[in-house]
Amino acid sequence: MQPEAGERLEPGADPTWRLWTDSKQIGNCRPSKPPARPNKESGNRTEGLWYKPPPSECNPALDDPTPDYMNLLGMIFSMCGLMLKLKWCAWVAVYCSFISFANSRSSEDTKQMMSSFMLSISAVVMSYLQNPQPMTPPW
Amino acid sequence: MKGFHAFCVVLLIFGSVSEAKFDDFEDEEDIVEYDDNDFAEFEDVAEDSVTESPQRVITTEDDEDETTVELEGQDESQEGDFEDADTQEGDTESEPYDDEEFEGYEDKPDTSSSKSKDPITIVDVPAHLQNSWESYYLEILMVTGLLAYIMNYIIGKNKNSRLAQAWFNTHRELLESNFTLVGDDGTNKEATSTGKLNQENEHIYNLWCSGRVCCEGMLIQLRFLKRQDLLNVLARMMRPVSDQVQIKVTMNDEDMDTYVFAVGTRKALVRLQKEMQDLSEFCSDKPKSGAKYGLPDSLAILSEMGEVTDGMMDTKMLHFLTHYADKIESIHFSDQFSGPKIMQEEGQPLKLPDTKRTLLFTFNVPGSGNTYPKDMEALLPLMNMVIYSIDKAKKFRLNREGKQKADKNRARVEENFLKLTHVQRQEAAQSRREEKKRAEKERIMNEEDPEKQRRLEVRQTFLTFIRGCLLAPYWLLNVILCRHVHRLKA
Repeated sequence: MQPEAGERLEPGADPTWRLWTDSKQIGNCRPSKPPARPNKESGNRTEGLWYKPPPSECNPALDDPTPDYMNLLGMIFSMCGLMLKLKWCAWVAVYCSFISFANSRSSEDTKQMMSSFMLSISAVVMSYLQNPQPMTPPW
Repeated sequence: MKGFHAFCVVLLIFGSVSEAKFDDFEDEEDIVEYDDNDFAEFEDVAEDSVTESPQRVITTEDDEDETTVELEGQDESQEGDFEDADTQEGDTESEPYDDEEFEGYEDKPDTSSSKSKDPITIVDVPAHLQNSWESYYLEILMVTGLLAYIMNYIIGKNKNSRLAQAWFNTHRELLESNFTLVGDDGTNKEATSTGKLNQENEHIYNLWCSGRVCCEGMLIQLRFLKRQDLLNVLARMMRPVSDQVQIKVTMNDEDMDTYVFAVGTRKALVRLQKEMQDLSEFCSDKPKSGAKYGLPDSLAILSEMGEVTDGMMDTKMLHFLTHYADKIESIHFSDQFSGPKIMQEEGQPLKLPDTKRTLLFTFNVPGSGNTYPKDMEALLPLMNMVIYSIDKAKKFRLNREGKQKADKNRARVEENFLKLTHVQRQEAAQSRREEKKRAEKERIMNEEDPEKQRRLEVRQTFLTFIRGCLLAPYWLLNVILCRHVHRLKA
């Protein structure tokens, strides 16, 4: 049975939550020291003293630069496709947008993703509107 | 040249004849009509170098008829070049035959005949004028690739989600029996045990557990392969990689003694020793083989001191390590854990990083990438090992000698760090002093009044002397104190 918030607090006790607020400590997100007070224990579980999880900014596993690089590449290829009227650049931009989306984090802003998509699709559409001929390979 | 002269003579002759004909006509219209006919006659002669042609145009009133007839005459004249040649020959019977007059003329009938015999070449219609989808094969290829990527994204995402859920269903009971709080993303102000995984990515899932004795909390991270990215799938075909489960247990300060210890595959330990701050400072020796303790050859040990290794390698731990060696990537116990090494920018003073008592576990999911939900059950004994390690770390205590050695090591590391910082701070202070001196000298040089300049120089020299006298005892005291501290520590 899951405990409910505040149910196991001792009377007059301070709030149990301690925030991991020291964001300057890169690579080490530590909580502040909890106050010394008896915890109600049942077996190994401590009911009443819970710590908050570390913020995701401190997680080095999420420092994957792939979505950012692919986003940037997609924008560059989109501009090349629009300015230089190169169809293959526009198609590569669409692929870069897809790869960036597939590798993106859930916390990332969707607006940037959507703008990248729209830019790449508009590059493809404009290339074919200006020149309906089939694409010639760049080699 | 002779031919050209002959040609001009012929023209002159016919010109005189035409003039005579003009005299015969009194009506201008007739003259015009006749002019057209006559000039047409001579034009034909000028082009073909022939005096007359049997297909010459007969005067008619209708212009259209004239034109058509002329055209016919022209066509006929082209076809009847041979006839013209014949007539030419006939007309010039009276004149001596000059071969050079008709140079190139024989080629013309040859080329015209060759032209009529040229085969008809069919030129390929350019692609943009074709009304077929086949010319757009590259576009079809691109769209097919995109569809394949989207299909792979959906399939990969669903598989990762199923694997994560399978892992959680397998381990839920064990976690809930050991922790009060299982599953929290930290967004709510109040404590909320969600009882489910927190999805960070399409391939990374987190689970935070808290509410247990001797540890502040445990962060479990399921790091699956990027099955949703087709490029990654293709790259994995070249180099197989396994899914990983990373567990980070944050211990209470009073529940863990001071030591640094690691066990795992040799490759993983070498990498960790390079990357991790605490392992590089406290475990400077190369990873040693665990054969002495009965470990498989695939596993190696990094330890701060032998006592820690002896204390950690008890029967139960050896049982876990031996039976599940293929699933263990690395196990790292440290009271000085501060994460990977931080690259500081030059010029900035180094700050001693904050440390935390931590137990880190990295396990490989069996299957080498071809993982099924049922494979998650094989990781349950490893979670038992984690729980056992938490209790083991709480119970294990160094003896007096080990404690002294550990404290000595920590003091040494701190001293080295402070020395490094001290050197950098001294350099910064020195550069600041030099900058100040240079500014002062510039001010003196820029002073126009020589008397004032001399007074400023004297003042600066006096100030420098006073500064040296005041600081010298402080420097001496600093040196004496440092030496004394060294002797005490030794």
